[in-house]
Amino acid sequence: MSETTAAPPTESATGRIVRRETHAARTVPAVIAAVLGILLCLYVLLESVLQSLGQEEWLIDPPTFAHWLAGLPRDADPLFLGLAGALIFLAGLWFFLMAVLPGRRARYAIPNPRAAVVVDAEVLASSLARRARLTAGVTSSQVLVTVGRSRVEVRIRPTSGIPVDSDAVRAGVEDELALTGLQPQPEVTVLVSTVGAIGQ
Amino acid sequence: MNRTPRSLNRVLLGLAGLLLLALGAGLVLLSVDPAAASWWQETGPAVMAEGGRILGSTAIPGQTQSWLWPALALAMIVIAVLLVLWIAAQGRGRVDTLIAEYDDEGASGRIAISGAVPEQALREALLKDPDVTSVGVSTWALRNGNGLRVRIVPRQGAAPHLVAADATNLVDALDAALGRSSTVLISLEAGRRYRIGREERVR
Repeated sequence: MSETTAAPPTESATGRIVRRETHAARTVPAVIAAVLGILLCLYVLLESVLQSLGQEEWLIDPPTFAHWLAGLPRDADPLFLGLAGALIFLAGLWFFLMAVLPGRRARYAIPNPRAAVVVDAEVLASSLARRARLTAGVTSSQVLVTVGRSRVEVRIRPTSGIPVDSDAVRAGVEDELALTGLQPQPEVTVLVSTVGAIGQ
Repeated sequence: MNRTPRSLNRVLLGLAGLLLLALGAGLVLLSVDPAAASWWQETGPAVMAEGGRILGSTAIPGQTQSWLWPALALAMIVIAVLLVLWIAAQGRGRVDTLIAEYDDEGASGRIAISGAVPEQALREALLKDPDVTSVGVSTWALRNGNGLRVRIVPRQGAAPHLVAADATNLVDALDAALGRSSTVLISLEAGRRYRIGREERVR
C-alpha cells in the first residue's frame, strides 16, 4: 500500500483548480487527433510490412504514389486537389485554434476562504432571474437572463398594464451579483420589452 | 480535477494543426498557382529520385527490398502505441482512498480513510439543504496529495453564494472530524433539469 495524504488547501492549489475548471482540457480534439493518427499509422504499417515482405500492395503502391506526388498537379483534377487541400487546411486550422485559444468555459469562480468554488453560468443566471422576477413582480416565463463574461443582460416582458421599474430591477440584480462576488463584476443591463404579456 | 495532460494536449494539437495547415496550403497552392506547380514539378522528381536511390542502396543483403520498410513499420508501431497512451492519459486521476498514513507515535499503525467517508457525510448533510437537488462527491489525486470534488446541482433560482457558503461550512466540519484538511473543489453545476424544465409555478 502506498502512502497518500490529503493535499493541503493552499492558495496556489486552489487557484490551479479554479483555472483548470474554468478552461477546457481539449480532451475531445485530442482524442480525435489521436484516433486519426492511429488509423494513419496502422495503414502505413500495413503497406510497409507488405513492402518489406515483397508482397503486392493493398491500396496504394508506394513508388506509384511517390511518382504521382512528384508530378502533382499533372495527374489530378485541379478542382478536386484544391478542395482536398482546403479541407485539410480547415481541419488543421481547427486543431491549431484548439491548441492556441484559451477555451474558457461558461463557469465563474466565486471567492471562498476554504475551497475552490466554481459556478456554471446557467446556475448564476437562474438565481439572477429569480431576483429580477421577484423585484419586478412578474412570472418566471417573462424574464430571460443571459450571463456573459463582462455583462449580464436581463430581458423582462412586463404584464400588460403593470409597469416595471427597470432601475429597481437593475439595483436588485447588481446587489445579488455583488453578494456572489464575481471578479470582475459584470455590468448589468435591463431591457424592458415594450410589448406586454396578457393574462399573466 | 482530473490529471488530463493539458499542456501535452495543446502542444500535440498545435503540432498536428500546423502539419495539416502546411499540407493543405501546399495542395491549394499547387492547384491554384502555376508558378508553384512548375517549381514543384522541377523539384519533386529530383527528391523522389533521391529517395529511390536511398531505398536501392539500403537493400537487405540477398533481397531486393530495402530494410527501411521494416524500420518504417517499427516506427509506425511505436507511434501508434504512443498515441494510444495519449488517449489513455485523458481524464485519469480518480482514486478510492482519501488518506492512508502510517503513524508510529503511541500505538503505531496505519490509518486509511476511504473516499466513501467524505462522500457519504457530505452528501447526507448537503441534501438537507432545501436549495440542493443533487450531490456527487469524488476523490482525486492532485499534485501533492488527494483532494475532494463536490458537485452540487442547486435548485433552480437558488443563490450560488449561499449554497457555496453552506457547503464550505460542511467542509470545515469534515476537516474537524477527519483531522486533516484537503484541497476541495465545490462545483455548482446546472443539471439536465435546468435546460429542459421550467421553474415550478408554485413557490
